[in-house]
Amino acid sequence: MIIFRKPIPGVEHPVMESDVTIVGGGPAGLACALRLAQLIDAHNTAHPNASLSKENIYVLEKAREIGQHSLSGALLDPRSMNELLPDWKGEAPIEAEVSREAVYFLTRKWKFKAPVTPPPLRDHGNYVISLNQFAKWLGTKVEETGITVFAGFAGSELLVEDGQVVGVRTDDKGVDKLGEKKANFEPGYDLKSKILILAEGSRGSLTKQLMGRFQLDRDRNPMTYGVGAKELWELSPGRIARGEVIYTMGWPLTAKEYGGAWLYGGKDNVVSLGFVTGLDYPDPRTDPQHVLQSFKQHAFIRGLLEGGKMIRYGAKSLPYGGWWAMPPLAGDGWMIIGDAAGFLNSQRLKGLHLAIKSGMLAGETAFEALLAGKFSAAQLLQFKSRVDSSWVKEELYRVRNFHQGFEGGLLEGFLHAGLQQVTGGRGLWERYPAHAGHKRMRTLIDARGYTEPEQLTGWAKGDGKLTFDKLTDLYHSGTRHEEDQPAHLVISDTNLCNTRCRKEYGNPCQFFCPANVYEMVDASDVPGGKQIHLNPSNCVHCKTCDIMDPYEIITWVPPEGGGGPNYDGM
Amino acid sequence: MADTILVVVEQREGKLSGVSWETLAGAQDMGKKTGWKLEAAVAGHNIGAIAGEVAAKKVAQVYAVDSEKLAVYTPDGFVTALKQLIQRIQPKLVLMPHTYQVRDFAPKLAASFHSALISDCVGFKYEAGKLLFTRLMFQGKFAADVSLAGNGPWFASLQTGAFRADQVEAGASPAPVQKAEAQIADTDIRTRPEQPFKEAKQAVDLTQAQVIVAVGRGIKEQKHVEMAKQLADSLGGEIAASRPICDSGWLPPERQVGSSGQTVAPKLYLALGISGAIQHTVGMKGSRSIIAINKDAEAPIFEIADIAVVGNLFEVVPPLIEEIKKGKA
Repeated sequence: MIIFRKPIPGVEHPVMESDVTIVGGGPAGLACALRLAQLIDAHNTAHPNASLSKENIYVLEKAREIGQHSLSGALLDPRSMNELLPDWKGEAPIEAEVSREAVYFLTRKWKFKAPVTPPPLRDHGNYVISLNQFAKWLGTKVEETGITVFAGFAGSELLVEDGQVVGVRTDDKGVDKLGEKKANFEPGYDLKSKILILAEGSRGSLTKQLMGRFQLDRDRNPMTYGVGAKELWELSPGRIARGEVIYTMGWPLTAKEYGGAWLYGGKDNVVSLGFVTGLDYPDPRTDPQHVLQSFKQHAFIRGLLEGGKMIRYGAKSLPYGGWWAMPPLAGDGWMIIGDAAGFLNSQRLKGLHLAIKSGMLAGETAFEALLAGKFSAAQLLQFKSRVDSSWVKEELYRVRNFHQGFEGGLLEGFLHAGLQQVTGGRGLWERYPAHAGHKRMRTLIDARGYTEPEQLTGWAKGDGKLTFDKLTDLYHSGTRHEEDQPAHLVISDTNLCNTRCRKEYGNPCQFFCPANVYEMVDASDVPGGKQIHLNPSNCVHCKTCDIMDPYEIITWVPPEGGGGPNYDGM
Repeated sequence: MADTILVVVEQREGKLSGVSWETLAGAQDMGKKTGWKLEAAVAGHNIGAIAGEVAAKKVAQVYAVDSEKLAVYTPDGFVTALKQLIQRIQPKLVLMPHTYQVRDFAPKLAASFHSALISDCVGFKYEAGKLLFTRLMFQGKFAADVSLAGNGPWFASLQTGAFRADQVEAGASPAPVQKAEAQIADTDIRTRPEQPFKEAKQAVDLTQAQVIVAVGRGIKEQKHVEMAKQLADSLGGEIAASRPICDSGWLPPERQVGSSGQTVAPKLYLALGISGAIQHTVGMKGSRSIIAINKDAEAPIFEIADIAVVGNLFEVVPPLIEEIKKGKA
C-alpha cells in the first residue's frame, strides 16, 4: 500500500504577508527578482520620500541550495544577460565561448556532416555554461540586493480565495511515510502574496494547478515536451576542443521519433553530452536513458568518449510546444515565466535567454504594479504586452510552427521546416495544430511492427565504461530525499497500473522515468502477478511521468523541500 | 501587575536541566535591561535542595512549588500548581526553557490566562520600553521580532543554546526561598504516568560487525529473511540488507547498507541475492572478503566479489548453515 503526499487536514499554517513571491530559483525566477530589485533601487534613489521596500519579496526554491536542481545543456545566448547585467561576463561562471560548431546526421553505421551549419544552430557568440553553477552565481546576485531566497522550500499549493489567487503555501516538513506528523513536523507557511510569479520550470506543479483551475489551456495548442538525459564526461585531451559544439540528429532514433543530441566542450576537458527524446514517441517501451546509452555506442561518439570517464548524470524535461502552446501569461495576482510558460525556442534548442528575458519583463511589470498598488489582471497583463513588443515575440513567433511540423515524422518535418524558413515561420498554415505527446503513444499491440527500435526500448544494460544501466547513472546525479515521507508521485489509481496499463501499454513508466522511480514488482496476491512499486527517493524532478503517462493519472508534487538531485557542474 | 520576571526552571529527579541555567542567564540579562525584578520558581516534590541551588544565584526570590502530586510530572498537575503561584504573585512575564516538558504544559498554562506563548525564542530586545522576542522562522532562515500585546502575564520560552549557562551571575547573598504549597485535587490530574520510557541504545552498530550477512531482493519473501539470520547467527555476525528490503519493512532501516544507509567494512561480507547496484556497493566495497551468491551470473556484485557463487541461494544457504554448524561442533 503506497501512501501519497496530500495536505494534512486541521493544520494551522503560519501566515506571512508578501508583496511578490517568486516560486522557483532558476534563471527566470532569479532574473525576475534581480530586475525587480534594480528597478526598486533606482526608484528609491530618485524618490527617497516615496520608497518601495524589498523586504517582502521572496524567492522560493525547493532545492537545498540554489542551482542544485538546475540542469540544461547548456548554451547561453547572451542577449538578455547583456541587458540584465552588462558586466556579467566578467564575473559569471562561463565554461567557454563557442569556437566551432558542426551538425551531423547519424545512421546506425555512418555519420553525415551537414556541409553548412543550418542558421538556427549557428552558435558563434554564444557561451557554454553549466546552468547549475550559473544559477548559483545569479542567486548570490539576488541575495546581495536584499531579497530573501528561501532555499529548501517548495511551493506546494496555490492559495485561492473567492476564485482569486492570493498566494502560495510552502511544503509541510516532517511528515512520515504514512502521512502522519513526525516529531520535527513543521507546517508549511502561507505566503499571502500580492503578486505570485510562477517560475517553476518545465511542467511546474503549481502552474499545472493554476492551468487546471482557470482552464488556461483553452484555445491553445497542447504543450509538448521532450526529456533530456545528460552525462558529464571527463575526456582525454584533444577529443573535443573547449567551446566546440556538436549536434546530431538521427540514430539511435528512427524517423518516427523526434529528438537529437548535443556535445559541448567545456573547461578542463569536461564535456557535456546529452540526448533529448521527444515525449511523443510511439513505442511505449521507449526509454530515454537507453537512447542516450545507444547514442554513445555509435562509432563516432564512442571514438570521442573512449578512455574518458562519466562523472555526472541528470535528466530534465523541456517544453517544446512554442508560441501557440503558451498559456495566458498573467491574471489576477499572478504571472508565469520561463519554462513554466514555455519560453523556449525549439528550433534553436535554446531557452535560457528567453527565460531570463521573460523574468526581466515580469519584474518590470511587478514593479509598475507595486508603484500603482494594483494587482489585477488588467495591470499584470502588461507583462504580455511587454513580451509582444520585445524581441521575445519576434524570436518565438518566427518558429511558432516548428515543432508541430515534425508530428508526421522526420522527413515531413524537414519539408515543413524548410517551407517555414522562407515564409517567416508560417509554412502551410498560420497555426499548425499540435497533439499532446502522451496521446501519440501507441499500445503494445499497435506499436508492434510499426517501428523496430531495439536500441530505444527496454532498459539499457551498461558495460560500466561507455554505457551505464539506469541505477548507475542515477547514482551520479547525487539524488537524495528524506526516505521517511509519503510518495510525491501521486497516482490516482494504482489498480489501473496493475491491470489495464500492464496489458495495454506494458507500464511505460518503468521506461520513461530516467531515474528508476517506477518499478513493477512480483506480487502473488495481485491478479496479474505484478504490482506498481515506487522509489520516490530516486526522483530527479524531471516531471516526465506527469507528462507522458498515457492515462494522465500521475501527478508530480514537490517532496519535502531540500530533497532531489544534487547537480554539480551540470 | 508588578514588573516582575518569573523564571520557571525545570528539574528532573532532583537535578536542574542545563537549559534552565541558560534561561536564568537570559532572564538576568533581561532584568538588567528592563529594570524588572527577577524571581524564580521550581516545581516538584521535596525540592528544597534545588530551590537552594537557584537561590544562590542573583535572583530576588525563589518559590519552591511543592506537592506530593508533583513528584511525577503531569501537565495537569504542573499547570494547576503554577497557575496558583502566578495568580498570587502576578508577574509581568513568565519565562521558561523550551524543553519537551515545557512544550507539553506551557500552552495550556498560557491559555488559562487567555495569554499567548512566544515559544522557542533565541533572543530578546528591549527597545523604547517595549520587550521584543526573536524567533526563527523558515527553519532558521528568517528571524522575526515578536512583541506581546495586552497586560499579561506574558509567557515565553527560550531555545536551548540561546544564552550561556556559565554566565549566570551568583548572588551576593542567598535569596529567600519561599515554600509554596500547591493545592492540587485528585480530580485535577487526568493522566496517570507510566514509568518513563528510556529509548534502548540502537540495537545494532553494523560498522563494528566483523561478519555481515546481507540480503537483497533475491530473497523473494519476507519469511526467507529468517534463513539469512540463521546464517548470520552461525557465523556470529549481523544481518543487513540492501535498500529494497528495508524499504519493504522486512528489516529495520538501521540495517540498510549503501548510499542511503550505513557504510561498512567487515572482515567478511556475505551478499545473498544482491545484484550489486552501485548504490549498495559504495556502502560495502571496503569489506576485506566478499562472498556473493546470486543466480544471475552477470550480476555486477560479482565484479567486486572475492568468491562468486552462481546459484540459487535457497539451495546454497541451508547446507552452508549445516556445514558451519558441523565445523563448529
